[in-house]
Amino acid sequence: MVTLMKQAMQTPKNGARWLWAHRLRLAALALLLMLFKPQPVRSQFIDPCCAMLAAGLSTIASTLSGVIGGGLNNILSVDQAISNFQQGVVWPQQLIAEAQALVGTLQKMFTQIESVMKVPVASATLPASQQLEQILLSRNAQQIPNTGANYTAVYGQLPTATQASPQTLNLIDMADAVAQDAMKRAIEIDNLADLELQAADQINQSIQNAAPGSAPIIEAQADAWLVRANAYTQAATADLMRVRAATLADHGADLKTGATNTTSFGQQVQKLLQPQQ
Amino acid sequence: MTAIFFILLSWGIITAKTRRQMIAVATAGAVAVMLVSPPRVYAQGLWAAIQAVLKVINGIIQTALNSINTVRSAINQFYQLTVWPQQLINQARSLVTQMINQYRAPMAAIFNIPLQSARLASTQQLETLMRNAQTGDFPALGSNYGTVYGALPTTTQASPSERTLIDVDDALAQDTLKTLKESDDADNITLSVADQLENTASRAAPGSAPFLTATAVVASIRTQALTQEMLAAELRQEAAELAHGNTLRKGRATFTSQVSTSIQNTLQPQQ
Repeated sequence: MVTLMKQAMQTPKNGARWLWAHRLRLAALALLLMLFKPQPVRSQFIDPCCAMLAAGLSTIASTLSGVIGGGLNNILSVDQAISNFQQGVVWPQQLIAEAQALVGTLQKMFTQIESVMKVPVASATLPASQQLEQILLSRNAQQIPNTGANYTAVYGQLPTATQASPQTLNLIDMADAVAQDAMKRAIEIDNLADLELQAADQINQSIQNAAPGSAPIIEAQADAWLVRANAYTQAATADLMRVRAATLADHGADLKTGATNTTSFGQQVQKLLQPQQ
Repeated sequence: MTAIFFILLSWGIITAKTRRQMIAVATAGAVAVMLVSPPRVYAQGLWAAIQAVLKVINGIIQTALNSINTVRSAINQFYQLTVWPQQLINQARSLVTQMINQYRAPMAAIFNIPLQSARLASTQQLETLMRNAQTGDFPALGSNYGTVYGALPTTTQASPSERTLIDVDDALAQDTLKTLKESDDADNITLSVADQLENTASRAAPGSAPFLTATAVVASIRTQALTQEMLAAELRQEAAELAHGNTLRKGRATFTSQVSTSIQNTLQPQQ
């Protein structure tokens, strides 16, 4: 115990002795620590630099909310007005759906029309006329080569050169040709009309699935088909006019032949009645 | 990191054996601290940076936002006043409704005025059948046609070629009458299609109208196809009429040739 007390009395003396021995080193270390001690954190409220930074950031924040936020809000309100106008007035979803539904309803009516137009109309009762009628109503352009033989079976052949004069033969052949042309054109037109109706079905289907932006493209295609259909109608009308012109020419030729025959007959009678010398 | 550095520096200074060593360690530490320590921020530079940011916000960004707003407003105004003015859209819808009221009923009334003109029983029946726009009574049409225009002669009444000619004439005439009944029926449906298109147009929007116009064009293609089918029937009929006359001419030519031969044979002196 006494030893411990002596040691305790001795320790401060030793420490002081050690400090005195290293005084120069401690002074140099203290000087270094004082010079390069870490800088204290500057308070936001007391330090003038932080106050300046806070004022600057506050100004930036208020400018951002005023200038940029205000500007963006103005743009947003204009964009919302545009959006509301386009969705409510220009492209209202409900009216678009209604128009698409109408396309579906009309398709059913078109199908009804097609079934009405497909009811068979054949009426001939004799074999030859039945065969010709079947070809004429076939709506199949592949049947056109068979028209000639069946036409001849019903309307007769071209007379031989001994049976009719060359002029009469020409008239008969021309009339047969125009009549057969018209019948062949009728088969073509029926076939084309079927294809047009098929195309119309396809176009109608695509309208049902279209968007307001793509519908005009489909409309343009439909317009092209309409132009094409008009061309076919004109071709049919042209053939109809040819048949009528040929019929008129035929009547004229009959009159001409009749006049020639009458003159010739008169001359023959005069000859017969003249007194024999 | 800083604490470790200072502990090592203190230990180096304290444990240096000579004064020269101590001075060297202290100098090296001081130099290291001076080299590594971050530069001090000056308040004046910070303020200039803040001013620069504010200048950008108030200058370029504000101008850009104002320009965008001006353009968007102009687009909005252009849409609402020039491209799709609500007033003109409503006016167009009203015009459709007004035209429906003005034309539809009077035109339907004109189109449905009865045209029947026959006075005898059999012709009245045929006329009714020809004009009733029905496709389920074709057999009745055939029998009434026979009543009015006569039946096909028997084999004892006419030659085979004459019978064939008569049969094909009757057949093509009846074909046309039946096709016309079909097209009359189709016409009525087509008129309903036109009515429905017009009804929908009266409440259409600019965005839904393209569907209606496209459908109307498709309907036009179909009516063209029907017109073509009628023209084809007309072509068959006209061709048959021409062919009929031509067949008679062929018969006359053959008959004339036969008569001429007979006369020549008769007038030749008997040997």
